[in-house]
Amino acid sequence: MLELEIAHTWPDFHLELQLTIGAELIVLFGRSGSGKSLTLRTVAGLFRPAFGRVVLNGRVLFDSQSGVNLPPQARRVGYVPQGYALFPHLTVFENVAYGLRGPSAEIHRRVMEWLDRVGLADLAGRRPHQLSGGQQQRVALARALAIQPDVLLLDEPLSALDAPTRSELQTLIRNLQRQLNIPILFVTHNLAEAILLADRIAVLERGRLLQVGPPKEVLHHPARVEVARLVGVRNLLRGQVRGLDPEGLRLLIGERELRARPNPLVPPLPAGAEVLACIRAEHIAIVRPDRPLPPERENLLEGEIIGEMDYGLARALFFRLHGPRLTPDRDYDVEIEVPPYIYERLGLDRIRCWTIAIRPESIHLIPAGSE
Amino acid sequence: MDWFPFLLSAQVATLATGINLVVGIAIGWLLARRSFPGRDLLGAIVTIPLVLPPTVLGYYLLIALGRASPIGQALEALGVPLVFTWRGAVVAAAVSSLPLMIQSCRAAFEGVDRELEQVARTLGRSEWEVFRTITLPLAWRGILAGMILSFARALGDFGATLMVAGNIPGRTQTLAIAVYDAVQANDLTRAGILVAILSIFGILALVAVQQLGRRLVA
Repeated sequence: MLELEIAHTWPDFHLELQLTIGAELIVLFGRSGSGKSLTLRTVAGLFRPAFGRVVLNGRVLFDSQSGVNLPPQARRVGYVPQGYALFPHLTVFENVAYGLRGPSAEIHRRVMEWLDRVGLADLAGRRPHQLSGGQQQRVALARALAIQPDVLLLDEPLSALDAPTRSELQTLIRNLQRQLNIPILFVTHNLAEAILLADRIAVLERGRLLQVGPPKEVLHHPARVEVARLVGVRNLLRGQVRGLDPEGLRLLIGERELRARPNPLVPPLPAGAEVLACIRAEHIAIVRPDRPLPPERENLLEGEIIGEMDYGLARALFFRLHGPRLTPDRDYDVEIEVPPYIYERLGLDRIRCWTIAIRPESIHLIPAGSE
Repeated sequence: MDWFPFLLSAQVATLATGINLVVGIAIGWLLARRSFPGRDLLGAIVTIPLVLPPTVLGYYLLIALGRASPIGQALEALGVPLVFTWRGAVVAAAVSSLPLMIQSCRAAFEGVDRELEQVARTLGRSEWEVFRTITLPLAWRGILAGMILSFARALGDFGATLMVAGNIPGRTQTLAIAVYDAVQANDLTRAGILVAILSIFGILALVAVQQLGRRLVA
């Protein structure tokens, strides 16, 4: 278990966070410059914050109060920096053996065991520059894990790799995590990767932790508007709670009333509370005229497509309601995302007037003023 | 042809380079890797032999190491006087070529990615081991280039050597001083041969340094 507390102030930046990590893969997610790498470097002993504590399995690695600050050598931390930092003058074997001590037969056995686990046993004699990016990353992983660390720190480990290699390594890291049973801190700014790999995601922005939770929770129940933006919520609508009845929450958004499901993660919102309604673009359905209407409790809205963007794998549609509007101050009300085959099958390029359906459980509410 | 100046110069330049190797690596590493108060001042002091007139440098060395100074007296008591001996020539050559060695070492160490050293530390290796197994092997081309430059410079030193070691044929007369002597004696053949040898060596050394530099980048 890793207990982490950091506070450090620069003239233009403040890093402050508190995190407890079990034997799980936790993704530090956020933009560049949000403090993710600094957090890893603090755990590794490569950065010393002004205040804080780092305790690994009960062992105090750093404590600003008592002045304890173990050097990186004494921390038993597996650290893979961005760009891998393989020793260019050493072979793959020598890189992995670098942190090992003991009889050479034993070192040989352990290095080969790790090279085998990352699938590189036949490349032991190569130099780093003779390897592909994915192979270099595997060597860096083997080197960090060969010392049997108590925690593994991975800084943007896959961001420089092509998609197929990235996905291979994601599988490798997931499998290693299950076998190793140690905390893994994985830094990324790639949302899909964070969701795929994480047991929990810790969302960082400008040096602060905004939310920590399982991927689904962060994705569907962002605690703050910044998190909502970071996890790709494209509809953020201002509204007000009207009341709660057995059917759910009644919300006033713009000139319309919508039905929402109460947010299980925050205390019930009283009538009159100002909220931000988050609706994921891919959670809005287009109602097909040849199918039965969705149940009455869903929010059914009529309007037309007034603009679109082609992302290749998806189409974004900008939808303007007929009659009362949700956002009277701009030209469209909601953004909808549909897969290309739906777009073509429904003929959305020709037929522009539709009814859309938004399920109450797809409307996630954030109390306003939390931003 | 009197070969003594060749042998003496070779010996002086080799010893000076040996001294500079140790001092240059130490100070070059300090300047590249540590921040401490007075770092820029140290950087300036170890570079000053490059800009001072050699006579000024020689004057300082005479004052610091001569018979009147505590260091000079101590050396004399030990039976190894420096001033007006070939050892004085070694000191003069070392000091005047040290800046080139330090600059090269500093650049070579700065060229080593710090992240490699940091990872090596997380893998449990001590500071000395990290230096020996990561920093030094990755910087050695630059250090070698510094050695060649420093050797060539030591070989060519005139002013400081003359001030400290004098011009005693068969005892302290190095190649550079022998050129001066030959010209004074109007022996232009001898001067020409010495000049040609020194020039060819200098060019070869600089070619080697450039080749090392290119491979350093590649």
